[in-house]
Order: sequence, then C-alpha cells, then structure tokens
Amino acid sequence: MAFSKLKEVYTPQSSEEVVKLLKQHGHGALILGGGTFLHGLSARGLLPDVEALIDIQKLGLDYFTPSNGVVKTGASVTFTALEKQPELTKAPWLGVLKDALEYIPVQVKNMATVGGSLASSLPLFDLPVAFMTLKGSVVAAGPKGNRKISLDEFFKGQFENALQRGEFITEVLLPVPPRRTASAFLKNEKHANALAILNVGVSITLDKAGKCEEARVVFGGGVGDVPVRGRSCENALEGKRPNKELLKLASETVEADLNPISDHRASAKYRKAIAKVLVERAFETALQKLN
Amino acid sequence: MKKILNLQVNGETHEIAVNPADTLLHVLREGLGLIGTKRGCDSGGCGCCTVLVDGKAVYSCMLLALSAVGKSIVTIEGLSTDGKLDPLQEAFIKAGAVQCGFCVCGMIISSKGLLMENPHPKEAEIRQALSGNLCRCTGYHKIVEAVRIASAHS
Amino acid sequence: MARKNSATTAIGKSAPRPDAYEKVTGGKGFTINLKLPGMLHARILRSPYPHARIRRIDTSRAEKLPGVKAVLTPKDVPQTKFSPVLFEPTLAATMVQDMLILSDRIRYAGEPVAALAATSVEIAEEALGLIDVDYEVLPAVFDPEEALKPGAPQLYETAPNNVAVGPVFSFGDIEKGFAEADYIFEGTYETQRVHTCYMEPRVCVADTDSRGRLTIWSSTQHIFGLREKLAFALGLPESQVRVMKPPYIGGGFGGKLDMGLHEPICALFSMKTRRPVRLEQTRYEEFISTTRNPIKMYLKTGVKKDGTFTARYAKSILDTGAHATHGAIVVMVHGFFGFLLPYRCENKKWEGCSVYTNNMVGGGYRGYGCPQGAFAVESQIDEICEKLKLDPVEFRLKNAHKEGDPHPFNPGFTLSTYRFEDCLVQGAERIGWSERKAAGSGRGSKKKGIGLATQPLWVSGCMGFPDIYEHSGAIVKLNVDGTADLAVATVDLGSGQIITLSQIAAEELTLSPDKVRVTAADTDTVPFDAPAHASRVTYSTGNAVKAAAASAKKRLLEVAASLLEASPEDVELVEGTVRVKGAPKKSMNIADVVKRAESPFLVMTAQGPQPTSVQEKGTIIGVSSMAPPSNPSPATAEFVEVEVDTETGEVDVLRVVYAHDIGRVINPQGAEGQVEGGFQQGMGFALSEKISFDQSNGACLSGDFLNYKMPTAPEMPTQIESIFIESNEPTGPFGAKSLAEPCVIVPAPAIANAIYNATGARVRQLPITPERVLAALGKL
Ligand SMILES: Cc1cc2nc3c(=O)[nH]c(=O)nc-3n(C[C@H](O)[C@H](O)[C@H](O)COP(=O)(O)OP(=O)(O)OC[C@H]3O[C@@H](n4cnc5c(N)ncnc54)[C@H](O)[C@@H]3O)c2cc1C
Ligand code: FES
Ligand code: FES
Repeated sequence: MAFSKLKEVYTPQSSEEVVKLLKQHGHGALILGGGTFLHGLSARGLLPDVEALIDIQKLGLDYFTPSNGVVKTGASVTFTALEKQPELTKAPWLGVLKDALEYIPVQVKNMATVGGSLASSLPLFDLPVAFMTLKGSVVAAGPKGNRKISLDEFFKGQFENALQRGEFITEVLLPVPPRRTASAFLKNEKHANALAILNVGVSITLDKAGKCEEARVVFGGGVGDVPVRGRSCENALEGKRPNKELLKLASETVEADLNPISDHRASAKYRKAIAKVLVERAFETALQKLN
Repeated sequence: MKKILNLQVNGETHEIAVNPADTLLHVLREGLGLIGTKRGCDSGGCGCCTVLVDGKAVYSCMLLALSAVGKSIVTIEGLSTDGKLDPLQEAFIKAGAVQCGFCVCGMIISSKGLLMENPHPKEAEIRQALSGNLCRCTGYHKIVEAVRIASAHS
Repeated sequence: MARKNSATTAIGKSAPRPDAYEKVTGGKGFTINLKLPGMLHARILRSPYPHARIRRIDTSRAEKLPGVKAVLTPKDVPQTKFSPVLFEPTLAATMVQDMLILSDRIRYAGEPVAALAATSVEIAEEALGLIDVDYEVLPAVFDPEEALKPGAPQLYETAPNNVAVGPVFSFGDIEKGFAEADYIFEGTYETQRVHTCYMEPRVCVADTDSRGRLTIWSSTQHIFGLREKLAFALGLPESQVRVMKPPYIGGGFGGKLDMGLHEPICALFSMKTRRPVRLEQTRYEEFISTTRNPIKMYLKTGVKKDGTFTARYAKSILDTGAHATHGAIVVMVHGFFGFLLPYRCENKKWEGCSVYTNNMVGGGYRGYGCPQGAFAVESQIDEICEKLKLDPVEFRLKNAHKEGDPHPFNPGFTLSTYRFEDCLVQGAERIGWSERKAAGSGRGSKKKGIGLATQPLWVSGCMGFPDIYEHSGAIVKLNVDGTADLAVATVDLGSGQIITLSQIAAEELTLSPDKVRVTAADTDTVPFDAPAHASRVTYSTGNAVKAAAASAKKRLLEVAASLLEASPEDVELVEGTVRVKGAPKKSMNIADVVKRAESPFLVMTAQGPQPTSVQEKGTIIGVSSMAPPSNPSPATAEFVEVEVDTETGEVDVLRVVYAHDIGRVINPQGAEGQVEGGFQQGMGFALSEKISFDQSNGACLSGDFLNYKMPTAPEMPTQIESIFIESNEPTGPFGAKSLAEPCVIVPAPAIANAIYNATGARVRQLPITPERVLAALGKL
C-alpha cells in the first residue's frame, strides 16, 4: 500500500488512547478499520502524509446489542459479523441492512467495518445508506468526550463528514421503531465488485389500520456528494394506505428530490429513471415482510 | 524502520522483519516465500491474494502484516499435508478447473472458507462466495463444479 | 458422427493437465515468482498529459536517492523506431514502425516518460516522484472521426490526417449489387475499448552476462518474437538475446502478444548495471497498456426478398490510439474475417481506416478485430431477418459457404471439412429454437428471449496471411524409462496446449499422455514456433509435434528392428511395445529399446556381458520444423437465452449453447473449458466491460477491478453447453482443427440479438449497459 511515510501502526486498548494518539499525530494519523478502503483513498490522492495508523480492533467495539429501544453496533463490527446477527433475519425493520450486505464480496465483508464504511463518507457505498434509512446516528469519541451525530447531519461531502479533528466513530445507534416496521434495500449494479450506480434504502411503519405512519427513503450511489433523502416520496406515502397505485404515484415524486450525477457509468437521466423503479420495488419488498 | 513481528502461518510461527506499510501479501510472498498467494491487482477485487485469517477469507493485499499479528493465517501451502491434497485441490484437478492457474490458489482458499462454514452449499451460494475472485480463463463453470465435487465428499 | 475411434491411446480423452497439481498447490513456475540474486526493480514514470512535448527532464534529485542505481530518459535509449507486434518480422510490410522505447513526444496519458531502477520497488516508486519534467502541453484528440477531420491535432508528421493505415478491398461490382437488391439495410455499430484481463500482470526479469549477452524471462506469448523485437529495438544481433519460456503464464489472450516497454527498459537497465532487473506492471498500468481496439462500423447491405445477399459494403474506423501497434493489422483481419469472408456474396467492398488518436494503444485480444466485426454483421443479419420475416438460421445457411467450396481466403485450398450447417441445426435444436417467440411478445416487466450469432469462417493458424509467421517446430526425445520429453517454444497460456500437445505426441508414440512431459525451453534450445495466438497451436504446432514424434518413432522402430533381428518394415509399435508383425511374442517395450540405444558398447545380461552394435547407438530423438499443410476453417454457432428487466434495463444471461466444428476433439474437458472461459470474455464485452477515460485529460477511470467490470461467478449463466461436431480434418493432427477465438467472437451479437428477441429493442453500441437498453426501449 502506498504509505511511504508510514512509521508506526498502533493498536491501542482504549478510546482515550486513540484520542491521545490522534492528537499527538495530528494530520499524520489515520484510523484503521478493516483497511479495505485505504487503497481507494490513496488512489484518489487522499492519504499523502500518513505517518501513523491507529488500528482500533482491540477496543472491544465489536458488539451488536439491542437494549432500551436502541440497537448499538460497535465501529469494529465487520460486515460479516453484522450479517450473521440473527436479528437481521428475524426483524423486518432491519431488512435494509441485510439486503445491503448481500452484494459485497466475501473478502471485503470479512474485513470491512461498520465504522470504516461510514467514516469513508462516500455516497457510493451501500451500508451508509442502509444505516441512514434506519435513522442511525454515530457516536464520536474525541478530546471533549463523546457526542452523538445523526447520520442525516453526518455526511458533509465526498470523503467529508462531521467528525472534528481528533474524533473517531465508536458506535452506531439505531432507534428500534414501532412494531409494524419493515425496510428493504436495492442496488443498481450487478457486478459484485462495483459500487452502486444508484441504490435506495426504504423503511415503512404501518399503523394498526394498515396506513403508512412513517416512511423513509434514502438514495445513494451517483446522487451527488452525500446520500439524499426522498422526502417527497415519504410525504406522498404518509397517512395513506400503501397499495400498488399509491406506490407507483409516490415513486413518481422522487424526481423532485433527486439531482443525480452523470458520469462514465450512467447518465443523470438513467439514474432518475431507475430511482423510481427501485423505490417502488423496495417498498413492495418491505411491505411483503409485514404480511 | 523495520519491525520484528511473529506471524502464525500454516500452523508455524515465523519471526520476520517488516516495514509498517507492508501488506500481508507482500510479507507472505517476499518475506516467507509463500508464492502460492498471488498478486493480481494489489488493490482489492481480483482475489488472487486470498488467504484465510482466523478461518475467514480475506484479501491479503488489503491487510497490513502488522494487523495480522496474533491471528492464524492459512495459505494454499497450508492446505495439503504430507503431500496429501485437500479435497478441494483434488476436485479442482478432476473438474478441469485449472487453466492458466493464476487465480486458482485464491479460488481454492475462498472455497475452503465457504466449505468450513457451509459444507454443503447450493450452487448460488458457491457462486456468491466466489464473487470476490476473478478468473479470466474458465468462465467459473468448472470451478463451481469443483467446489460441488469437494462438498459432496465432505 | 465420427466420434473418437476406439483405437486411440491418448486422443479424445479428458486427460488432466500435467501442471494442474503444481498449480493447485502453489504454482512456482509463473514469471511473477522469479527472483534473482542482486536483482534491481524498475519503475516507469508516465505522462499525466495525453499530448505533450517534453522540454526538459531533470533526474538529478531522483538519482541522489540512496538505492537508485540507474535512470533512463528519452535521450538514453536507442533511436530506432519499431513496432512491438510479436507475430510478424519487424520489417514486414504491414508493420508500422512508429515507437521508441522512450520518446520526448507524448501521445497518450500514461505514456512512459522515464524509468529508473533501484534496489527496491518502494525506493523506485519514491524516486519517480523526484523526477522533474517540463511538459509543453499540446491539444489532444480522442475521437477517431474528429482526428480524421482537417485541422485536428496531428500525431505524426508521417501520417497525414492521422491515418495509420487505410486499406480498401473490393470484389465484384458493388453498385450493381445494390441495384439488384430488393432491400437495402444500413446501420452503424460501435464497440468499446476492453482489456484482456489476464490475471498475471506483465512482468519480466532481464539479466546480462559478463560478455553482455542478454537473457529475458517474461510473461509473454512469443519467445522468438520477443527475441527479434528486443534485438531490433536495442540494435543487437539476435544471437545476443536469449528469451526463456515461462513454465506457466497467467493468461495472455493476445494481451501479451507485443513487446511491452517493460522488456526493453529492463534490458537496457541490465546492460547498464550488469545486474538482473525486474519490472512488474501494476494493474493500473495494465489497464492503460493494451486493449482491444474500438471500431465503429458503417454497414450497408443489399438483399433479395428471399434473403440472398447481393451487395455488402462496410466502412470501419478503428481507433489505434497513440501508436499503430496491432491496430495496423487488426484492421485487416477485421476487414477480412470480420466482414468480407464469412458469407458468400459476389459484390462486396470494405474500406478500413486505422486512425491515430491521443488514446491508449491497442493490442491483440482473442478474435483480433472480429468480435467487433461480428457484432455489426451478425446484429444486422438479425435486423434483416426481422424485417423480411426470415428465419435467422435459414438465412445464414442460405448465404454460407459449403463444405468442399474453394477456401475464400486461401484460394489454393478448399473447405475440406466444414460442418457449419450441423452447428446451426444441432445448436438450434438444443436451445429450442423452434419455440422462439416473436420479438418483445413476452408479458410482464421481465422478458425472456433467444438470440443467435455465428462465426462461419475462421482459421486454424495463419497460413495464407502474407506477413504473419506460421511455422512450428518440436523436439521429441525418448527416455530410458519409456517416457518421452517434448520441447516446444509454444507457451501454454492456460488454454491447455501443454496437455493437447502431449496427447498428440503420446498418440503417435502409442503412449498414455502422462508418459509425455513438456520440458523447459528457450530460444537457444528449441526450433522456432509462431506465437501462441490466433487459433493455431493445436493445429499448427500439433502437426509439428506429430511430425517430431513420428520421426522419433521411425528411429525407435529402426533400432528395435535391429535388436529383434527384423527389418524396420516388419516391426510395429502397439501400446508402447515394438513387435514383429505376425510374431507378437518377438517384442520389446520402448524403455528396453531406448536403454539399448543409450547403452555403452557392453551390456550386462543374464548370460554375462554382451557386445552391442554401433547401429543401435544414439538418443532416440525426433525433430521437426515445418509450416502446417493448410488452414482449415472451424465454424461456430451460438445460441443465448437472456432475461431483460425492462424497467431497469438489466440483462441476465440464462443459458448458452455453443456448437462448434473444430475437427477431432483432442481433449473434451479442455475444449469445454475454452468455450466457457470464452463466453465470460464475450459476455463482458457485450454487457459490462469498458475502459473509460476522462476526456478532459485522458486519465483512465477504470484502472482497477472496482471500476472495470469483468463478469464474476454470480453474474454468469449457470448453463453453458458445448456441442462439438467432430469433422475429421484430413490435414489436422489426428483430425483436429482449432477452437480458441470464435467462442469469444459470437457472444456479443448473440446477446444483442437475444435482447432484441426479448424486448424488441436493438442496441448497436457496446457495452449494452442497462442504460442503453432502457434508451432503446424508449424509456429514457
Ligand atoms: C473489492 C471491493 C468491493 C467493494 N464493494 C462494495 C459494495 O458492493 N458495496 C459497498 O457499500 N462497499 C463496497 N466496498 C467498499 C467497502 O464498503 C469499504 O471499503 C469499507 O466499508 C471500508 O471499511 P473499512 O473498515 O475497511 O475502512 P478502512 O479502509 O479501514 O477505512 C476507511 C476510512 O475510514 C476511516 N475510518 C475507519 N474506521 C473509522 C472509525 N471508526 N472512525 C473514524 N474513521 C474511521 C479511515 O481512517 C479511512 O479514512 C468494496 C470495497 C472493495 C475493496
Ligand atoms: S491482489 Fe489482492 S485482490 Fe487482487
Ligand atoms: S485459470 Fe486463469 S485466471 Fe483462472
């Protein structure tokens, strides 16, 4: 790997130590999660002066615990470990996570971590979109202690996020939604190695009468610098009974929220067109989980 | 500055000096002479460098050697014992899954990772487990067949 | 059908590759594994600009870095222009000599500017950053049709309007043909830039002995071609260069069919430092150093109501990139085998043009111009059939050549064996062609369809191509333990030559294939062979191997006859034993004959020491070096079933049936493997693979496997079926022809036609991305 200046790889045992090391090395320090995106970052010229890597695998951040209405996922949980959580299969509201993990090559899943996936802050990734769909927030540890940042506010641009100098992600919090909630994820890109042309996570909560109490739609892939909420679509669903016609209608509204990119893989026009299709299908899948 | 570390590879502990930035792939090939693990891209995706770390298939080109300390690493050289091939190796020969052979060690290691967890995978599961391993010669057909043969024998 | 005849000992059997054991346990023999004591590591500095002149290069800072041992800049390299293509002599008429090892004129982003050698890769890489280059940036042109226009940036003074070569061929009277047509069809078809994606990157080690003689180990497809090109570019006599054949090479597919710049660069460094020097390309460097040339084809075709061709016209614009390299020859093969020859038609004309642009250079890739041609021709046939309501199988049969016809490319030969019709008929039956539905008639958003494409005419070797090498040689030596050693220059790219050639030698010697060992070889020790390219090794090298084995056998029989006190005409070789005809008890096995031949004058027997005769003495060896007798055509038809998601445009390939006339099948399992692998390459070309560049600066956007989408196991169809129609080619070794390339040529048009059948949408541009499908469906 292209780290010609790298002098040390630290394996601290506590968050405090991490914070100290981050302070000590300033710009020259980089947190190491699974390491699967370091090549991606260095190929984009984003890691020129790294002197110290801080491997956080020994911090004990490898837990997945539902407690008090919140599911906490440690930053070091690998994609594989996450995928194996029985809750992911059992709880329909976590479906979006399960679906999002399906597309990724095993070797990446065995190494890549939840923290690394969020901290990379690339809208092309799948897992951040899934976490955002679930109203996730990250806990950042730093010199001033811990703070919670909602994912809706976390992503600031490609490779940019709300972490301040000296902070790192310790865990992700997911609020457990009402019982009748299900979620799903779809990705447009068949190729196992390639990142999404467009992906979408949706979540829906039904009230007792079968009406949509709350809906969440998040788009990732080539949608811009950060994942994008499909608010118009959410609004179109809320308070109504989600049937085929309504889903169709709601999916038509996504154009209003999306201003996707055109690149060598697809045009903005195509991305908009499939956004509608994917949203509709994702909601269908999610709703099936509630039946 | 080089660091001395102990790596546990194929059941043996090796003491070796590495640069902090050295990947496990680099150390296996250049340091320990375990050239069965191949470098096809050095950037993740081709799978030629796949090894097992604590029983899980990973790209050794994406793992720093320093991060592999204290873990159990298995390379293709660790699969056969006393000249007796692993059933997967036998099956790859039998099924005609070897052409140029450059991808093959990575393919076998990924398959091993799969079979250790799921001894009787369905075809779709085999294909999914190999999605991080590229082959340009075989079209994967006989490779999938080989994994099926090996799983039938376990 | 002529299925394998029961008398064979080796042919027609799925004998396992002798190298499989080695490869599943590690595979030492790849060039990437080679290390020599004191070896230096070279790296190349590449231009960030697509078109520039180098004003000044300052390497002083780099040279001061401890560990840097040598530096090369354009002024340090020989100034002889060369073409890197390995399969023709450098001075052949069709070669365009327009390259230097390093030049102060840059013509694509990524072109080498300078190189250095250091004691480690890391030091070499760090030193690259210390080379200061002052570029004068020039305007660049990326679109070949723009490059042809007046006023476009010019790449070479010697090539006005950026035309590298512009061949035109005309047969019959094209205007008359169009006048006779009931219908005229016109269409434009376009293919993209794809990479061969061999898994072993290009890598070489060069070493120089104390008298200055060079030895090169390289992951190359042609050791003799590399020797010739290196000697030419470096200004050395050929005998001063020795190229070692790599025991294994991690794929080639045409991509290792030229001298890469790493080879002369390492050679120069080694000559300078007298140390071994190694260079392994990174995957990014791979993606910018060889590609299948993109071709845009304008087709105009006249047909009668009944589907008979009356006139066929095409214009092909090939993007050859910064240098002509293969582009000068690909365009010709494309013109002939991709357009002019596959079908009968009296009036035809083709205009080709290989155009310089500021894109990366082209290269060889399985099919060599014909995947591009077949995509256009076979797609258009489907369009014609749709319009005229003709059956695509019938249409092709009507216009195809027939067995016994004069060979359309080689007038001296006939199509001695040619079972194209059987390919079509048997393939159609297997896929269920008769149940094929009308285009786009399926219900629901996911629609299924079946498509057909063919490569009716192909080659077994390059006999008849005026400039291309086409002769082979082999050495077969019998050992005292009754085994045989086979030495050939041909490298096994993975496609199984190592076993098919062993089987051919074994068959001739009546041995089982595991008794034949393919040995190490290099340009010093074995006869010349043309490269492992085209579709030639089984046929051409196979014939040479058979001849060498026959010559060894002849000597074996002579020696045995003398030992058995019979005349050579009266002895025969049966299953490894020489026996006197009519007296099977009077016999000796091969091992015993060889032992006697290799023994000193006295041999020990039960009766005590016995004298032997001088006539028996000497290694039993057969050597051949010869051109193949002919160039018989294999034939291929492929049927594909796809499912198209008409809302997202995504395409799934469900099932594939190939039918091939490849002559006698030497190794069925190996042949299937070729077909299955070929489909993966063809499917990637059809649906997903593309090397993309940022047009503002020429930088590659698909330089890794996250961005370059080569099909993975889950994307591939679960059913790929091969039907082999075993015509028994009289000139082939034991009846064999060839297989390699058509499997890669036909998938793109077959998939395009299947997509049309499923949806009624026609995509004339590769790759057929989901976006293009949706656009063709009118949904964008
Ligand atoms: C071949 C391949 C295929 C892939 N396919 C997919 C795919 O299909 N879908 C998909 O979504 N993704 C895919 N990815 C990307 C993958 O998701 C990311 O590489 C992964 O999420 C990064 O996680 P990591 O733990 O390895 O991070 P690392 O590589 O360790 O780190 C990445 C960045 O995050 C920072 N970081 C890591 N952990 C923390 C932390 N706790 N706090 C603060 N900063 C931190 C690091 O400093 C670094 O800047 C693919 C990657 C590869 C190589
Ligand atoms: S070398 Fe590690 S994935 Fe290619
Ligand atoms: S056998 Fe050649 S790459 Fe797989």
